[in-house]
Amino acid sequence: MQYKVTVIGSGPGGYVAAIRCAQLGLKTAIIEKYDTLGGTCLNVGCIPSKALLDSSEHFHNAAHTFQEHGIEINEPKANLAQMIKRKAGVVKANVDGIAFLMKKNKIDVYTGVGSFVDKNTLKISSKDGKETIITSEKVIIATGSKPTPLPFAPFDKKRIISSTEALELKEIPKHLIVIGGGVIGMELGSVYARIGSKVTVVEFLDNLIPTMDGTLGKELTKVAKKLGMDLFLGHKVTSVENKGKEVHVKAEPKNGGNAIELKGDYCLVSIGRRPYTDGLGLEKIGINLDRGKIPVDDHLKTKVDSIYAIGDVVRGAMLAHKAEEEGVMVAEQLAGQKPHINYNLIPGVVYTWPEVASVGFTEEQLKEQGRAYKVGNFPYKALGRARASMDLDGLVKILADKATDEILGVHIIGARAADMIAAGVTAMEFRASAEDVSRMSHAHPTYMEAVKEACLAATANRPIHL
Amino acid sequence: MAQHVKVPTVGESITEVTIANWLKKDGEVVKMDEVIAELESDKATFELTAPQAGVLKIVKAKGEVVPIGAVICEIADGGAAPATSKPEAKPSESAAPKATGGIKEMKVPAVGESITEVTISTWLKKDGDFVKLDEVLAEVESDKATFELPAEATGILRIVAKEKTTLPIGGLICRIEITEGGATATSAPVPATTTTPSDKNYAVGHPSPAAAKILEEKGISTSQVSGTGVGGRITKEDATQAQPATSKAEPTKTPAAAPVMSSGGSRTKRTEKMTSLRKTIAKRLVSVKNETAMLTTFNEVDMKPVMDLRSRYKDKFKEKYGVGLGFMSFFTKAVCIALKEFPAVNAQINGDEIIYHDYCDVSIAVSTPRGLVVPVIRNAESLAFDQIEAEVVRLATKGRDGKLSIEEMQGGTFSITNGGVFGSMLSTPIINPPQSAILGMHNIVERAVVKDGQVVVRPIMYLALSYDHRIVDGRESVSFLVRVKELLEDPGRLILGI
Repeated sequence: MQYKVTVIGSGPGGYVAAIRCAQLGLKTAIIEKYDTLGGTCLNVGCIPSKALLDSSEHFHNAAHTFQEHGIEINEPKANLAQMIKRKAGVVKANVDGIAFLMKKNKIDVYTGVGSFVDKNTLKISSKDGKETIITSEKVIIATGSKPTPLPFAPFDKKRIISSTEALELKEIPKHLIVIGGGVIGMELGSVYARIGSKVTVVEFLDNLIPTMDGTLGKELTKVAKKLGMDLFLGHKVTSVENKGKEVHVKAEPKNGGNAIELKGDYCLVSIGRRPYTDGLGLEKIGINLDRGKIPVDDHLKTKVDSIYAIGDVVRGAMLAHKAEEEGVMVAEQLAGQKPHINYNLIPGVVYTWPEVASVGFTEEQLKEQGRAYKVGNFPYKALGRARASMDLDGLVKILADKATDEILGVHIIGARAADMIAAGVTAMEFRASAEDVSRMSHAHPTYMEAVKEACLAATANRPIHL
Repeated sequence: MAQHVKVPTVGESITEVTIANWLKKDGEVVKMDEVIAELESDKATFELTAPQAGVLKIVKAKGEVVPIGAVICEIADGGAAPATSKPEAKPSESAAPKATGGIKEMKVPAVGESITEVTISTWLKKDGDFVKLDEVLAEVESDKATFELPAEATGILRIVAKEKTTLPIGGLICRIEITEGGATATSAPVPATTTTPSDKNYAVGHPSPAAAKILEEKGISTSQVSGTGVGGRITKEDATQAQPATSKAEPTKTPAAAPVMSSGGSRTKRTEKMTSLRKTIAKRLVSVKNETAMLTTFNEVDMKPVMDLRSRYKDKFKEKYGVGLGFMSFFTKAVCIALKEFPAVNAQINGDEIIYHDYCDVSIAVSTPRGLVVPVIRNAESLAFDQIEAEVVRLATKGRDGKLSIEEMQGGTFSITNGGVFGSMLSTPIINPPQSAILGMHNIVERAVVKDGQVVVRPIMYLALSYDHRIVDGRESVSFLVRVKELLEDPGRLILGI
């Protein structure tokens, strides 16, 4: 078959690129290695982890807040098998939805490992050994990423696990040791902490979620401790050993001090993800990797004119919504349009409870730039709605330019933060000032009022409810 | 005292306008030269500026159709400076507001009804220069005229459109960062209604995400678009409506693909952007061909009598009037007399009506380095020979220097063109719309002609009259040209009018 565009990988970057190509009238094919479409995000990432997070949150509420709310039940029990089963149903509904969208948009789906024969020819090798050859004028590589193992302790998928296995556990860990206090570690750590596991987090840096604004890390630390998690920040893991029924983790403070030894039944290694390009045959088309990533220009074009790459295999944050934007951008470019992505305004979200979300510059970045800025904070505690629903943890932090009042960063930790950050993105895409936002009506009683109040605080330190 | 603001005369054939939009509210304080309303005629939309600072009182509401000259609002002064206890009668620059941080955006003014774009020919001031109110900043060229662009405020000049850039009417030319003590074009005290002390201008020209994509695809820089969104932001609509400002490309030499059988010599081609004057000429000429029933009638004139008269009196004429006696005055006079006798030739079609002129505004074609321009000799029928000659010299000189104003080129009722100066023997000129006829003069050549049964040598000029057959009949056009011939071959008739 001859195609105008072929997308390799059907994650949120790949399938969105394919749909947009089809919408623009380009004859499109998509190649997926696994039996279901949707990539990491839908199968073993965002969607299943959120399914479990919500289940664990319900359990946590049943166990801890129902009584206060005046709901009397027998002591709840966590049925992990049912939680995993429900999660599987959620995943199936989603991946089936993608298959439907491919059909609806008349996109041909090829199941198997796609690899380059030459720059316009692709070979698809399916599990049963069948090989199919297709040609394509343009190719979009969207093969995503895989969890990074510790160099001295590869995943054995039994005791030393990645996020993929953590979503499929058969039992509630008695003691889950999480290596890496980033987004994935904190999300899955908090799932198991809420359904009864003892959770210990070992993080090399001095702050949790270290790429985000420092205030959020500090707040998350408080919340995690409240949940009963043990945190070892500034610790370097030196060994991880599977002892059969147990896993032993040794770590030492990086600035010197006594080494620790942790004994648990599972060890989740969540130190990051690496771009996945295995089996693509990039060497056949002369593309060399740069620290694992496919080098691309501002238009996401590789050194080969007709080949583009998007999502986790290229530079930038490994986020589903970043990959989606890139998929749309490449598709529109292929149709002769000139879209643009403002990478600084791609929000980052951590689905712990409470959620963490942020967009724009962090305070640390502004300091480094030497930019004159103002800060406006507003705690959830002072919010009527938060008090009503007992979600009192968290705050909104607005960073604004000292001279112009333009919003430079929005950082939220608290209930619904992930949904609220969209307002921050909108404001910043239009370069709103803190005062602009504080002069817009925000419905009462909502969590969003905290954003308005923080903007008032940033404008001239005049929040109403503080 | 309240000043009545009337609908200005916006174009020769425009009799009424519709109030498209009030940009200021009733009772609002307006500054001098601030745009207060948008008016719409059948030809164009234009802006109404406040003639003075003060409180606006709207007389005619949005949507109303008002005739030219009617009062549409009043501006009462006194209220101009509610913050100052003693409003100065004539605020001068020294009484200027300390409106630092203010920015005056200068846009291409509406310079004439049919002009849609202009080209920045020369910047007389540099980017970053300090400029004073009304100081000339740049020379701007339209397809009809060159005019000067005066500063609308005192301050630091920030150039947006570079030299040789073509901009649509309303396009952003430059910004002036108004400086301390500097005055805006208003010079009026600003009412003390400033909201926040912080500088709100950082977002000026910031495009929305959709607008950014549209502009990128159109190849328009955000600096060329003036945003209508909050704080000067560029909205999707702004981007959709933005016109690309075409830069006059440097002539690029494209080497032609070398053919196999090359004979040696240079085969380079040159591609140049059409100037706006050339584009307009092209458009108009094609439309005349398409929209009129044009044809041409010819005749010949024995120029001996005129030439004899001229050689006899040219020195005395020059001595007395300070201007040379050329042929144009004879032809213009002859044409005026003939036009009186054949009014259809001097008329024009306007929709379903015919407009007859009882005066003769004769357009004369002048060749300039920029192309052909056609200034008008007004009321040529009432001018003496010396007045016509003087007017021809004045208009031709201005034309060559590119200094002709649009008024000087509008409104002719009949045209004369002289291809003879370039050696043309015979040609069929094209009507200058909306006129209905044009006389073509040609070179004077000694030819053998028969006079009273004898072959004699005479200086002969062929004449051509192109006319719009929709309005001028064959009898009229031919008779008109014969009449011109008669008048020229016996100049005494010019005096007597017979």
